[in-house]
Amino acid sequence: MKTVDKLKKYLVEIKKNDQNGKKINAFLQLNPDVLKEARIIDEKIKKGKAGKLAGQIIAIKANINVKGLNASCASKVLENYKAPYDATVIQKIKKEDGVIIGIANCDEFASGSSGETSAFGPTKNPIVLNYVPGGSSSGSAAAVAAGFCDMALGSDTGCSIRLPASFCGVVGIKPTYSSVSRYGLIDLSMSLDQIGPLAKNVSDSSLLLSVIMGKDEKDSTSQEDKKINLNEVEKTPKDITIGVLDFVIKDKNIQKLIDEKVEEVIQKYGWKIKKIKIGNIDLAVETYYPMVYVEFFSGTRKFDGRRYGKKIEDAAGPEVLRRILGGSEITKAEYGGRYYHNSLIAKKIFSDELAKAFKKVDCIVSPVTPKLPHKIGEKISVEDMYAYDALTIPHNLYGNCALSLPIGKIDGIPVGIQIACDKFQEQRMLQISMAFEKLNS
Amino acid sequence: MDFLWKKVSEKEKEEIQKKAKTMMDSFSKRLSKIDKNIKAPLIERGIGEREESIEESNDDFSRKIMFENAQNKNKDFVIAEKGGWREE
Repeated sequence: MKTVDKLKKYLVEIKKNDQNGKKINAFLQLNPDVLKEARIIDEKIKKGKAGKLAGQIIAIKANINVKGLNASCASKVLENYKAPYDATVIQKIKKEDGVIIGIANCDEFASGSSGETSAFGPTKNPIVLNYVPGGSSSGSAAAVAAGFCDMALGSDTGCSIRLPASFCGVVGIKPTYSSVSRYGLIDLSMSLDQIGPLAKNVSDSSLLLSVIMGKDEKDSTSQEDKKINLNEVEKTPKDITIGVLDFVIKDKNIQKLIDEKVEEVIQKYGWKIKKIKIGNIDLAVETYYPMVYVEFFSGTRKFDGRRYGKKIEDAAGPEVLRRILGGSEITKAEYGGRYYHNSLIAKKIFSDELAKAFKKVDCIVSPVTPKLPHKIGEKISVEDMYAYDALTIPHNLYGNCALSLPIGKIDGIPVGIQIACDKFQEQRMLQISMAFEKLNS
Repeated sequence: MDFLWKKVSEKEKEEIQKKAKTMMDSFSKRLSKIDKNIKAPLIERGIGEREESIEESNDDFSRKIMFENAQNKNKDFVIAEKGGWREE
């Protein structure tokens, strides 16, 4: 099928169900030049000169700069802000002939786990419309799940790619910290943020990941490592030892689904299994949020209403303000080393524990999240909202790679398994994930 | 509480700030039980150098967008005035 024809189908579906019909609200802006760009790609395909992403229609989270399109971070603060340049990941996508269909909704400044905090309205979960899609890359996951595009980019600081991927029944990857350039990403927490792909399956997400990975001189934390070999990803590895995270979650149905899937994979491929205990894992949320509050407070000082946009304290919603005002408070009180310093110590402990664990096993599996999503607008406590991230955060603290893969449904709501590997072991993680995925088919 | 976006009043901001500090205090208290005898550096630092190159975004299109984004501007410069964005 021609890129233009596929794109037209997506645009019809978007028109039908994004702002009308089901009112998913996955997109904040569509690319006005998208048809023209798709025609150029089709010409290149015809001439046999097209790149790796030719024919792929891609949505981009609203905190990533795409030249000429709005980079609003789903906030009134940057409501009319147009990106004057392309983020490195966007340059790479364009170079490989991916077509950017538009800018996806998200939690305001990526501050949220539900997809409800956007200043332009919550995104609906396309699979179960009255439930949250998960956040913060809510629009990216919903756009893929709703059939509005082939793939999407999101960003993950504590859960923000994997959680919405799990709730919407798509694949989402948080790559190793520093393996993908963050240049052009409007940051939430600079020591934890990572851009990554969401797609309908492991194969498509591997393709997008292989394009965006690599060292970039504009992001001094970025590193070069092994390239992903897409042919190798298809091969089922032998002699794998799966580490099953020893962590009790309240929802027994979720744990049962995970256990059944692990049992199935072991039976089919003859892999081994080992229980893995990570010390202090129950303190992941308490370790993560002080870091995010402090780094977010620091990173948002540029939104002072003078250079661009509005002053963030005057125009942001409650969750962003909670993080900024809380961050301001604990930054002032940090001289005692009670908050950020404590978190850095705990982060180091988590990192050492996970590094040790990955010496014993090839991957660690767990549920993506300990509970099912709540309904849009439902009242829950801040602590309960933050608890969605309990099992995803440890991998941001250590900085390794992790992936969310759909493995089934409970009461019609998708459930994802988290498959995590050591730093720069993306290739191995994708192979293992694809082996799991083959069981579904 | 729900997590839907809404405009926040000054009074609500004070309340949010107070509650956020209380929550951070409780997090800090729970973290205090961990072993603090960590000797290795807490922050990994790389070389921290990069090769500077000519910015390809210094083109006319980027310049046009930069002026469009500015709240206040003159013919060829941006006026960075505090509170300039506020509606009269």
